[in-house]
Amino acid sequence: MDEFDLDVRRHVYFSVVANGRPPTTSDAAEAFGLPEPEIADAYRRLHVAHAFVLFAGSTEIRMANPFCFAPTPHRVEAGGKIWTGTCCWDALGIPAALHADGEIATECVCCGEPLRLGVRDGELVEGADLLCHVLVPAGRWWDDIGFT
Amino acid sequence: MVYLRSEEHLERWLESNRWEPGATLAAPKMNELARAWWSSRLAAGWRPRAVEQSQAILEAVGLTGEFWSLR
Repeated sequence: MDEFDLDVRRHVYFSVVANGRPPTTSDAAEAFGLPEPEIADAYRRLHVAHAFVLFAGSTEIRMANPFCFAPTPHRVEAGGKIWTGTCCWDALGIPAALHADGEIATECVCCGEPLRLGVRDGELVEGADLLCHVLVPAGRWWDDIGFT
Repeated sequence: MVYLRSEEHLERWLESNRWEPGATLAAPKMNELARAWWSSRLAAGWRPRAVEQSQAILEAVGLTGEFWSLR
């Protein structure tokens, strides 16, 4: 990952935090003063490098983990915004990444029962009796990150 | 990676999908992992981690063994 791609990746994450959504390639091209195809190429390289995840066949960002921009059951309130977590790990990762307290509203994958978790000063203060299950072994997480 | 109400719900979910169990973490352990893994994600000087560095994070929170091997 070269310095340009790191700059693009940094711009994406800072835009996510500031605006609650990732920049389109058009947004980023304007910010960098570059042609959009150069930014689109950087987005594709960053996707391949697992720096973030694009929607299939697109340059639209699906996940800038732990933040997700596709529907999931994990709604996270932290840092004054409402976010979507990719999975149970990322839902807790959002308060961690923002260094903020957080409230997670989610559901039991078995029965759909609403569940809540709360993070204060980094500690889990609500939902400590809940379980998290990781189905896919770590070495295969990126085989299908959506399923993982 | 999913949330479940209890062990009973986990077993029911695995059985209904005919999936082999993976690894189950109590939510506080997942929060510990989340803090260790994601807390530097927004740092201005962020650089991609080497696999060894990511593995060390898993090990530091007690996640060891074949299931947690990133290679």
